Parts: sequence; structure tokens; C-alpha cells
Amino acid sequence: MALFETRGLTKRFLGVTAVDAVDLTVEAGELVSLIGPNGSGKTTLFNCVTGYLAPDEGRVTFQGRDVTGVAAHRIARLGIGRTFQLVSVFPRLSALENLLTFLQQHQEESLVGRLVRAPRVRRLEAAAVERARSLLDSVGLGARAEAPAGTLSYGQRKLLAFAAALMPDPDLLLLDEPAAAVNPTMIEQMKAQIRALHRQGKTVLLVEHNMDVVMDISQRVIVLDHGQKIAEGPPEVVRRDPKVVEAYFGR
Amino acid sequence: MSDLVEQLVHGLTLGSLYAMVATGLALMFGVVRLINFAHGEFYMLGGYAFWYAYAELGLPYPVAGLAAVAALAVFGLAYERAVIRTILARTWHVQLIATLATSITLTNLAIIVFGTQPKEVPTRLSAAILDVGGVRMAWQRVLVLVAAVAIFAALEWFVAHARLGKAMRAMSQNREACAVVGVDVQQVALATFGISAGLAAAAAALVSPLFSIFPDVGALLTLKAFAAVIVGGFGYVRGAIAAAFLIGIAESLAAGYLSYAYKDAIAFVVMVAVLLVRPQGLFGRRIGI
Amino acid sequence: MRATRWVLGSAALVAVPWIAAAVVPGQQRYVLHVLIFTVLYGALALSYDLVVGHVGSLSLAHPAFFGLGAYTLALLATEARWPFAFALPAGIALAAVVALAVGVPMFRLTEHSFAMGTLGFAIATQVVATNWVDFTHGPLCVTGIPKPQVGALRIATLPAFYWMGLGALALVALLYRGLTTFRLGRAFHAVRDNETLAAAASIDPLRYRMLAFVIGGGVAGGIGALYVSYVGVLCPGELTVSLSVNLLVMVFLGGVGSLRGVLVGAAAFTALPEILRMAPTWRMVIYGLLLLVIVIRAPDGLEGLMRRASSRRRRPASSGA
Repeated sequence: MALFETRGLTKRFLGVTAVDAVDLTVEAGELVSLIGPNGSGKTTLFNCVTGYLAPDEGRVTFQGRDVTGVAAHRIARLGIGRTFQLVSVFPRLSALENLLTFLQQHQEESLVGRLVRAPRVRRLEAAAVERARSLLDSVGLGARAEAPAGTLSYGQRKLLAFAAALMPDPDLLLLDEPAAAVNPTMIEQMKAQIRALHRQGKTVLLVEHNMDVVMDISQRVIVLDHGQKIAEGPPEVVRRDPKVVEAYFGR
Repeated sequence: MSDLVEQLVHGLTLGSLYAMVATGLALMFGVVRLINFAHGEFYMLGGYAFWYAYAELGLPYPVAGLAAVAALAVFGLAYERAVIRTILARTWHVQLIATLATSITLTNLAIIVFGTQPKEVPTRLSAAILDVGGVRMAWQRVLVLVAAVAIFAALEWFVAHARLGKAMRAMSQNREACAVVGVDVQQVALATFGISAGLAAAAAALVSPLFSIFPDVGALLTLKAFAAVIVGGFGYVRGAIAAAFLIGIAESLAAGYLSYAYKDAIAFVVMVAVLLVRPQGLFGRRIGI
Repeated sequence: MRATRWVLGSAALVAVPWIAAAVVPGQQRYVLHVLIFTVLYGALALSYDLVVGHVGSLSLAHPAFFGLGAYTLALLATEARWPFAFALPAGIALAAVVALAVGVPMFRLTEHSFAMGTLGFAIATQVVATNWVDFTHGPLCVTGIPKPQVGALRIATLPAFYWMGLGALALVALLYRGLTTFRLGRAFHAVRDNETLAAAASIDPLRYRMLAFVIGGGVAGGIGALYVSYVGVLCPGELTVSLSVNLLVMVFLGGVGSLRGVLVGAAAFTALPEILRMAPTWRMVIYGLLLLVIVIRAPDGLEGLMRRASSRRRRPASSGA
């Protein structure tokens, strides 16, 4: 049984079909890229499967259970993590606090316990802080842990968002254009991070425009054009597919 | 039966008032995405300006009305430069609190300057009664409705044909693109505010002979105008106008047949009812005037 | 060190009635009267800051909850002869339940509509309180509200009311602290600062907005009940929109989202006009202008100014970060 699957997923906006009957499968442990020219429906698809948009038709299944149209916060709780195309952090919180915010479902605290700062509360908090610090270290932001996220550079915020998405240890990670709008050094760092995740056995589905990144790290590539899936397969095969070439380089 | 018709006539008067005030609010929101909580106070100040021109200075009715509109347009422009321009770039929290603060300041200043006693401003037309088959109404009410329709028609023409009007429409649809294309965003915002304030004053000059002017009149008016804007579909001027008439008639009927004391709650009830059923407003569209 | 400061400070606060008697003997009653209002408003401002400052919902409905708690206690105590120990929780409960009922439709609205909707609700509540004369006595007011009595303890003197208010403030401050720190605090702040991202962090924005709204409303109701137990009389004029403006001034003047800031703001707001002996209308004009200036120029309020001043003191040679 696939870890994650969409069947006939469709989303329309005012007469335009942004996502057109897309069937997509991701097996556990895979590193899959979703590519396609601008406007092909990639981010819309992401938003449909993570609860930010309600699909008009089709089904989304995760770990065998139907999650079609489930609200965003519940999707996150079920174990699907994501980043956003326009990098999104909590600007007023420190990098550390950003990560701690993502650890919602794993902490049990009672109101009274919190009021009197009971030892158990402090222990849970300490454990969370430790995990957050180690994640920040692994993306190279350890030194900026206390800095407000709003003061970090764009690339640093991308890394922060990436680390935050990892904080609740999701079973599936959806990355929306992790290599966009950052310098080549950062791109290499991103690639290394994603490869590391893959080696740890994490399942990753990423949307990406940067062909070098896609070809370099993906196990499998899915191509969308005008909302429809037009090709699928290993990177070298997809790259030579005439339909894909046509979609990208025009008619 | 004539009773019902009179209630409907009153409803149309209220509707005209709410529509004129709501249009100003909708224009502001549509063009610069700002909700002006002090909008009702523009009506209130327009009413006092009209009273002063007509009752104190003794100017003829049309002149007094135009004087009020001019005074408020100037005040609106000044306020835009002084306050609005600064808060346009800020979050909606700041905008809301700033305009709410303005509302309180203006209301209390009015109490200090004019006192809490309502000002009555009867005119020839508010005293003259028109009798249509047993239904009696003041001629002023006819003037209110006719003038309101004329104003809306003028606004439609303005937005479709005048350079400034077309710029306003363009800005309401895509502000960033306008700046790129060379539309003077600051100027359009300024003009929109001036027009908005002038509209409120025009409403006051038309309606004050029928109702009285008092410092608190703005608060409820802002709420009802806002209800109309929401019910009509945020920022969509035509929708706001239609919703305003709906609210005016509903309020009049409720006051006549349900309970006079609670009539002011009607706008709120209509708003909540519509929002529960159709959150995007009756006429659905969100952006564009 | 810190603990000593806490103990000394708390002792000083408790000892205020005696301090006042010693320092300003002729004015002791007046000073205590002002301080009772200050502590009650402080607690009310904290309950409002929960909603506005921590979860970012710009609600203008708070006066309604304050009024609901006040009317519940006033009517239960005078008409049904309920003892204070039952009337107070009833006031809190009613305000909280109404907040829940009102919150459900309100939170379907975004931003401006939410503010307007809550404002409309506040006005509607005032209209009902003024016009349902049979029930609320309308402008004739509810009079003869009895002084609180819990068993053998009777709160009838000014110092007693002050300690009651101080106790309430302490409880509310403790609750405020507990709600705005650790996981719950982070969830609130996440919803406030980036609702989309909060959802991706498995935080349900609606749930947390409702939680803050209901708790804030319930506490406001409780303060309303305490207030009316002190004043002894309740008129519909107590729940006007002006109260929303007052609360906004207190919260923004002091420092939105900050315990210390809000308390400073409430103290400054309540004490200042008493010191200046301003007429009510001029007072509102000043508040309006003050709020306008603060929200544009110093949105962090006094707390922000204090923090900037103290950080500058710590890094005198810094050339900026």
C-alpha cells in the first residue's frame, strides 16, 4: 500500500481547471519531485492535499486513510509536514521558538501544571528545546537560535522553515520549491539536507523548478502541465520525454 | 395599507441614507483596502456643517448643502494627509484602532462644541407634505431618493469615464499593477477619501431636515453602513447600495411592526444572518468597484 | 534576590490601605477608591489583552461580557437573593457561555468583519440592556446590590474591597501567565502572527481563538460582577463602546501582549484622569488622541519604550544590530 496517493484529484477556479484528474503515488521512503512549467498546478495540488484548499473531485489517501478535504491543522497532526513557496516563519519568535511551536501534539501539559511550573512541564519543555537545538544545528542555524526569525536572511529563513517542518517528525514531507530564490551555496546545502532526509528513510515529495536539483536528487519525477500529469518516471527518462520537452519549451 | 406604504417610503429614505454612507465606506475599502471606523463622524460633521450654513448663516438650502459637502471634502483631504496616509502601510489592527480613536475624538469634540441637544434643521421641503392616494410623505423624502439615485448614477459615470474614476476602479482591482503603470496611487487614495467624505456630507445635508443632528449619530451609522458593505459583498459598491436599501427597508418595517426600541439591532441581525448563510455577501464579488 | 523582591512587592501591595492612611490621611478613602478601580481595570485589561494581544483577534465585544457578568450578579443578588458565592460564578459562567455562542458565528468572519461584528454585538447588548426595562430596569438602573458576603466574611469597607480586587487581579495575572507561556502561549502567538503556518504546525486557529475569547469573556464577566458589587448600582451606560476604547488605550498605552505593560497602562489610565480631574468629555478627547498617536508612533506602548531604554543602557557602545 502506498504511503500517499491521490486519485482523480481535481480543482477548478472560475472556469480554469488548475488540477485535472491527477493520479499520484508516493511510496514510503521515496524521494519524488513534482515538476512542470509555471501555472501547471503544482502548488495548487500541494494546497489541496494539505488542507488549504478543498478539492472539487478526487480522493487523497495517506497511510491507508482518506484525508480528502481534511483541515490543514489535522493533516499536519496526521504526520504530513510542509513548507511554503513564499517562505513562512513566525517573525516575532526566535528561531528556537519557531521550532518549539511545531511540537504541538507531542506535549501534554495541564493548565495547573503550567501555572506552577511543575517539574514534569519543565522536563518536557527541556526535551523539546534539546530537539529543537539539534535540528537547528543540523541546518547550520545553531548560532542564531535566539535571534528573532524576522531578522534572518531569506536563505536562513528557508532553512528555518525546513527545520521547523521536521520538528514533529512527519511521515511525509512536502517541500514547495526549496531551492527557489536562494544562492548556489544555499542550494547545495538544501540538496544535502534533502539527501540526508532520504538516507534516514524519510518520504519526501518536492515541487521544484530548478532542473539541476530535480535531476540530481530525485528517485522519481512526475511532470504536470496545465493541471494534468503528462509524464512520470526516473529523472533521465522523463528529461528525454518529448511531451515534457514540448511542455517546457513551447509549441 | 397606506400604513405599510408609508413604512416602505421611510425605508427608502433610510436606505438612501445608508446607501450613500455605505458607498463612501465601500469606495475606501475597494480602492485602498481601508475600513474607516470614523466614517459615520464625517456624516455627523457634515450634518453640523450643513446646520451651521443653513440655520446659523442663513444660506439657501442648496448652497448650504454644497457648502457642507465642500467643507467635509476639504476636511477629508486634510485627514487623509494627516492620518490615513501614515496608516495605509500599516496592519489592519493599526488602521482600525486609529480610525476608532478618531471616531471617539470627533464625537466628544462635537459634544463639547455643539452640546448634546440634537439640532433640528427643518426646510421647506421637509415641512411640505405630498399626498399620493392617501399616503402622506414629506417632499424632502422624494428629494432624498431622487438625489441619491442621481449621485449613484454620477458615480457610475465617473468610474467609467473620468480619468480619476477609472484610476480608482483600476486600483481597486490591482493596486500593484497601477503603481507600475504610472497611476499616482497617493493621489487616487487622497481623492477617494475626499469623495467619500463629501458623499457622507451630502447624505447629511439631504437627510438632516428629516432626522436631527446629534454627536452620537455617527457610531450607529458606521455600523449599519458597514453591515451593508459586508452584506453586499466586501468592497463591491453596487452590492453595498442594494444591501443598504435592503437594510433600510427591513429596519423601517421592523420598527413599525416589531419594536421601535430594537430597530437599531436590525442591521446587525441582517448582517449576521447573511454572513452565516453566505459569507461572501449576497452579491458574492470581493474585489473591484 | 528576585524572590525577595516579589515578597516585598506583594507585601507592599497588600499593605497599601495602611500606607495610604499614614501618607495621605485625609485622602485615604479617595485613594483607595481609585486603587479599587485600578486593580479591577487591570484585571479587565489583562482579560482583554488575552484576546487582542496574544491571539490577535481585535474584538470590540468585551464591554458586553463585562456587562453580562455585572447584570447577572446584580439581578441574581437583588431579585433572587442569591449569595455572592453563587452569583459571582454565575456571572462568569454566563459571560463565558455567551462568548462561546457569539464566537461561533463571529470567528467565521475575517478581520474587519470580525471587529465590526463584535462591535455590533456590543451595541446590541447595550440596546437590550437599555430597552428591556422589565428585566434589566433599563435607565432606571439596578440598585441596592448587596455587599459581598461569603460565610462569615463580609466585604464592606474600602480596604476589604481593595483586597478583594487585588486578589482578583493576582488570580487573573496568574491565569494570564499560564495561558501565554509554553505550548499554549506559543499556539496563541502562532495563530496571531501567521495563521497559515500555524495550521501547518497542527494548531487549529479557530480552537485557540475561541479559547482566548471565551476565557477572556468569562474573566470580563467576573470583573463586571466584582465591579458592580463594589459600586452597588448598575446602569446600561456602563457597557458602552467607550469601554472598548478605554481598554484599547490601556492595552496599547501600556504594551499589548505584555503583562507588565498592560498593568502599567491600566494604572496610568485609571490614575491619571483622577489626578488631572478632567471632565468626562475632554477625557475621551484626550484618550482618543492619545490612542491615535500611540498606535501610530509607539505601537509597543510604554513597555516597548521601557525595553528599548533598558537595552540601550546595557549596550551603550553598540553601533546597532
